[in-house]
Formats: sequence, structure tokens, C-alpha cells
Amino acid sequence: MRAGYLSAPSPLPGFGLSFGITISILSITVLLPIAALVGHGLGIGAADLWEVISARRIRAALALSFRAALAASVFNLVFGLALAWALVRYRFWGRRLIDAAIDLPFALPTAVAGIALTALYAPSGVFGQLLSPLGIQIAYTETGIWLALIFIGLPFVVRTVQPVIEEIDREVEEASATLGARRTYTLRRVILPMLTPALLTGFALALARSFGEYGSVIFIAGNLPFQTEIAPLLIVIRLEEYNYDAATAIGLAMLLISFAMLLTINAIQIWSRRRIGNV
Amino acid sequence: MFVEIEEIAKEFGTGRALHPVSLSIPSGALIALLGPSGSGKTTLLRILAGLEFPTSGRVLFDGRDATGLSVQERRAGFVFQHYALFRHMTIFENVAYGLRARKRRERPTEAEIGRRVNRLLELIQLPDIGARYPGQLSGGQRQRVALARALAIEPRMLLLDEPFGALDARVRKELRQGLREIHDTTGLTTVFVTHDQDEAMELADLVVVMSMGRIEQVGRPADIRARPASDFVRSFTAA
Amino acid sequence: MSDTNLMTRPTPVTTEPRLARHILIGTVVTLIAALLFAPLMAVFAEALRQGWAASFEGLTSPDARAAMRLTLIVAAVVVPLNAVFGIAAAWAITRFDFRGKAFLITLIDLPFSVSPVVAGLALVLLFGANSWLGAWLIDHDLRIVFAFPGILLATLFVTFPFVARELIPVMMEQGRAEEEAALTLGAGGWRIFFTVTLPNIRWALLYGVLLCNARAMGEFGAVAVVSGKIRGETTTMPIMIEMLYNEYLSVAAFSLAAALALLALVTLLLKSLLEWRYADLLAITRRH
Repeated sequence: MRAGYLSAPSPLPGFGLSFGITISILSITVLLPIAALVGHGLGIGAADLWEVISARRIRAALALSFRAALAASVFNLVFGLALAWALVRYRFWGRRLIDAAIDLPFALPTAVAGIALTALYAPSGVFGQLLSPLGIQIAYTETGIWLALIFIGLPFVVRTVQPVIEEIDREVEEASATLGARRTYTLRRVILPMLTPALLTGFALALARSFGEYGSVIFIAGNLPFQTEIAPLLIVIRLEEYNYDAATAIGLAMLLISFAMLLTINAIQIWSRRRIGNV
Repeated sequence: MFVEIEEIAKEFGTGRALHPVSLSIPSGALIALLGPSGSGKTTLLRILAGLEFPTSGRVLFDGRDATGLSVQERRAGFVFQHYALFRHMTIFENVAYGLRARKRRERPTEAEIGRRVNRLLELIQLPDIGARYPGQLSGGQRQRVALARALAIEPRMLLLDEPFGALDARVRKELRQGLREIHDTTGLTTVFVTHDQDEAMELADLVVVMSMGRIEQVGRPADIRARPASDFVRSFTAA
Repeated sequence: MSDTNLMTRPTPVTTEPRLARHILIGTVVTLIAALLFAPLMAVFAEALRQGWAASFEGLTSPDARAAMRLTLIVAAVVVPLNAVFGIAAAWAITRFDFRGKAFLITLIDLPFSVSPVVAGLALVLLFGANSWLGAWLIDHDLRIVFAFPGILLATLFVTFPFVARELIPVMMEQGRAEEEAALTLGAGGWRIFFTVTLPNIRWALLYGVLLCNARAMGEFGAVAVVSGKIRGETTTMPIMIEMLYNEYLSVAAFSLAAALALLALVTLLLKSLLEWRYADLLAITRRH
């Protein structure tokens, strides 16, 4: 009988081996480093950590990272929904190409995306030249950071919502129409609530990703302290100064903020699922 | 309401779902569209509801041309085969939906909506399920809720697509009786689609037998049994 | 029953008015063009700004070649390791019941919510010269941070969930029945794995490997922290791109970027082919 004391009895072999491999690799590559980070933080002490974090430059960087990630993710929430809806429901020229291209931000290295966006939107770039006579500057401003974060967060909402839209039963929309509802009413009251859980999941993934993003942002950001300096960059700067304590403090703050964001979104999701009942 | 179907035809891309068919439905009748799958009976029902548009022909409601009316304007209570209840809404919200979706001027007050919904839930003999969600109901209960939801808009007629198709035999018998009773209390012109000849014969005042996009015979159940108009009708009703 | 086919029916009821449709499509296409297609084209345009020869020169400099070699080696080590991990994790999670399973799944997803830079920082704190473990390793001639092993670990960290996340839903859905059948027919563990499990999950595995490879070759933030940026030794392609770009060697930077962009295009192409051909065998609903 192959029944480990860890697992319920199963006739299939390999629990020990597969579980062992999983836990070892997980520990070495993920858990130990995170533990080292937390341990180092504990060594510094809460008071000192707080003192580092409350420095104006660091607070500005954390606030910027959070603000920009939130703004970009909200944009992606709306745009991603529109995109997923168009891809599933409409037939138009280039649809399949766009569908395949949605994942470009996953496949394209972030550094490449960063320099490409900068080349386009810098004042001398193709789009920058068009926009600068209008007084709009994108590269080297907070707008540039949004742009980069919109780029890397784009696929998340689309890819989580798309399959849910595909599975909507058209009968439900027809039922709404036979009951006298106008199309906008159906979209708002019937379709949108059905998509809410998936929208939130996509939003959470995009938010987590863009809050910690580094590669695509640093080229287009301009990196001016207090203005366009994101928190991950500040970690890199502190590390280059061998100021490990400050880097740890910022790192821990980022970790806490991402967990807090994910927990909040999870809570909203549980709440909305409960409202929806047995879906 | 008195419904006339004049030379309605429907083509889909390559195929023909309905050859020109004509039919008069007297006000207050309970009609069955009976036929095998692919006979065009669901298409005809959906054309009546305004969910589908005919390639040619006209639909008249009480003598007025209704062909160009949108679904919303037709106010036909439609019960879908799989009920199409809104899973994220309670039973109460489902039944109230059609009333709440009205323009503000025509919308009843919330108190009035509550009264009407509760009356309908009593009518379908499920007075206490308003707070539940569709996922928590049995198939038979869902079917009755779908019926109540369709009735809530004070429809001009009631259309049902295979209303008992997804239910087991015992529940089906029970609900047939329920539909008959609701038809008799409301007096609504009612059309239902079925492939089950027992159901059609037992329930309907008038049975319309369809095959391959054509109407084979229209008549009372007894007449169709006694004098089938074609070989198809004979073999289909004998089955 | 359904007398009608959903696809061929013109459905005025379940769609939006024509004008709204056109506006939405127009907006979507415009934004995608500006956000996705334009940057992609910009990479190639910038790379070829001074002609093919200059671009080729950028790609064949000794430093660039060393960077390519390092990136390929990193991917060659990380991707198989990740595949082994993904298979092991999926096997343990979908074929056995044990306490803390949900927690384990959460831990596997953890790297998605950690900034790559923070991941790099954590590695520096664990293996850097001023940690006791790092100091001990350096005494034994084993450098991890600012060396090849650090780059490996950083890449492993950020690509960690990729394969497992593709396999778990697929294996969950397939259930244990086929493996149990093989068991009753007398097959041993490895035979069951290679003859029953692996054929069932191969496309999902390939899909996960593809995504993992793209990320492994393109990772920047985590690697930037641990690489130390020693030219010709610890610079991967993305790091090299940054260095060249900051030295205003635009053509060289964009030439390397174009090589990576080509790789991304190939990845997307293969990915789309897999999705069109084997959609039912992939966990498309959870893809990203």
C-alpha cells in the first residue's frame, strides 16, 4: 500500500518523488530568498525600517509606482473588456492577427518593449513628433510610465475575460430582450455582472505585474527623483550603493503593498461571488 | 391576442428553414407546434417572438402588421428551452427584471413590483423562494420561475420553446397540468414547441404538425389522430 | 433541440447597434496598432536605421555574441528544470490528496506577485557576500551573486509558475482514471508516466515551455540586480541591450532587441498554432 502519512491513500505511485521535487525547487528558488529578505528586514527592526520608508524620496517612489500601476490597470480593465468583447463577438478584418498579438507583451522582453516605446514616444520619435506641437509629452513623464505599464498589463484582462464571454449563453441575452430590456440595459445588468469575477482576476494580475514592473519603465520614465522614479528603480539604486538595509526596506514595503492589493481584490471577489450565488 | 402568420419563409445562408407557411392562431388558444428536430418549429416560434426575422412574409397581431416590431416592442412572454434564468440574480430579481427594465415613466413603483412578483410566485406555487438563486432550484422549479418571469411583463402572448424538454417524466406530467391551469387563468394566447406528440395531444387545443420547414396539418388532437393528412403525420403521431 | 445554427443566424437581438460596433472595433484596432504593432515595427526600423551591415555588426561583436551565448545557456538550463518542476508539482497536486494543497498552489503562484527586482534583491540578501551563506560559499570558491548561478536562480524565480500553471488545470480535468487503468493492467510508475500521462499533457507542456522560454530569455529586472553586469561574462541579451542603449549605441542595442523581438514573434506564432490546433488539450481558460 502506497500511502504516505502526508497524503490520503492513493494507488498511484510517485507522491514522495513528485512532492519532494516540488518542495525542494520551491524552497531553493522562491521560499529561501523570500525568507532571507524577511529575515534581513527583521534584523533591521521595525523602527529603522519605518524610518527608511518615510524618507520623502522613497515615499514618492512608492506612491508613484502604486498610482501608475493603478491608473494603467484601470485603463486595461476597460480597454481589455472592450477588446475581449470585440474579439469574441465581432467579425472584422485582422481579428485573428490582433488575437494572436495580444500576447506580445508576454513574449517580448520588457527591456525591448521599453526602448521601443521610448523610440516612438520620445519628442524626436514618430509619435512624439506628432504630439509635441500639441504640447503633449509622453516620454520622460508620468504619462510615459503609464504607457509602459499599459503595454505590459494589456493581456491579463483580455485573456481572463475572453473565455468567459465565449461561454455566455445567448439565450440569456435573448431572454432579457423578450422581457423588454434595451441592449444597454442587458449589457449593464446581465452581461457585466457575469463578467465581474473574471474582470477582477485580470485586474489583480495586471495590477500586481505593473506595480513591480521595472524593465519596460526605466527607459521611458526619465527617472527623476520625486517625479518619475519608480520604487523598483530605487531598490536598484540603493543596491548599487551597497545600502542593503534601505533596499530591503523598500523591497519589504513593495511586498506588503502587493499582498495587500491582492488580498483586497480577493476579498471583493469572494464578496461578489457570494452575491452571485451558485455560479 | 389574435395572431396571423402570412406566407412566412426563412432562409439561413444555404438552407431553407421555413418554406412559406401560413397559420391563424385564435385569441386565447393553446397551440402546439409539433415536429421532429429540423422541422422549423423553433424558427417559427422565434419569428413570432421577434428573435428571428423572416426572409419574407408577414406576422399580424390583432390584425396589425407586427413584422417590423423589435422583440422589446412585441411584449411576448418567452420561456426558453434551458430557461435562461439570470444566475447572478435572486428569483425575485429574475421575475422583477422585466418590470425594472421599463422606462421610468412606465415603471411600477418598487412596492407595486414587489406585490406583482409575489403574486406570480404564488401563481406558480413557489411563494417562498424569492431570496434564492437559480442554482439552488430543481429543474422543475426553474421552469416555473421562467414562466413567472415571462408572465411578469404582462405579455400579449406566451411562447414556450420545448418547455418540458429538460425534465424527467414525472415532473413533466405535473408541469403540463400547471401550464394548462395558468393558460386557463390568464387566458393568454399560448404557443409551445414540442417534439413529444403525447405532450402536444394532451395539452393543446390545436396542434400544428410540422416537417422539413412545412406545415403538414393543423387540427384538434382528436382529428389529427383520426384523420392524419399525410403519411408523415400518420407515422409521426403513431410513434 | 435547435433548428437553427447560431453562427449563421443574423442576430440583431444579441449584438450592439451597427454604429456602436464600428466605433468599438475602430477604437480597439487603433489602440492595438499604437500600443502593440507600432513598438514592434519601431524595433526593426531602429535596428536597420544605418543599414543591414551596421545592424549585423552590432549582432556579431564579441560582447553581443557572449550575451547571446549566455542567454541561450540560461534558457537551456532553466527551461528543462522548470519543466521537471512543473510536471512534478502537477503530478503531486492533481494525483494525490494532501493537506495544504491549496496553500501549495498559492506558493507556486507567489512569484507572480513579487516584483522581479525584489526577487533579485532577495537573492542578493541570501547569497551575497555579506550574508553568512554567501560568505561561506565564496570561501569555497562558489560565487552565486554577480555570477552565472545567480542569473540562473533569478530566472528560475520569475519563470517559476509557468509550466505548472499550464499543467495543473489540464491534469485536473483529465482525472486519474487513465493512470489507474494502466495500474490495473500491471504498468509500473514510470511506464504509466511515459505511456499514459505524458502523451496526454504533451501539448500543454509544450505551451508552458514556450512561455517559460520566452520569459527566461527576456527577463530583465531580476537578472539586472544579480548579474553585476560584467561585460562578456554576466551580461545576458536584455542586460546588454540596456548597456548599449545607455552608451547611445542605438543601432547595436536595437539590433539585439530585434533578435529578441524575432524570437517573440516565433513564440507567438507557435503559441497561436498550438491554440488553434490543440485548443481542447490546453488550459486556454487560464492562459497568460
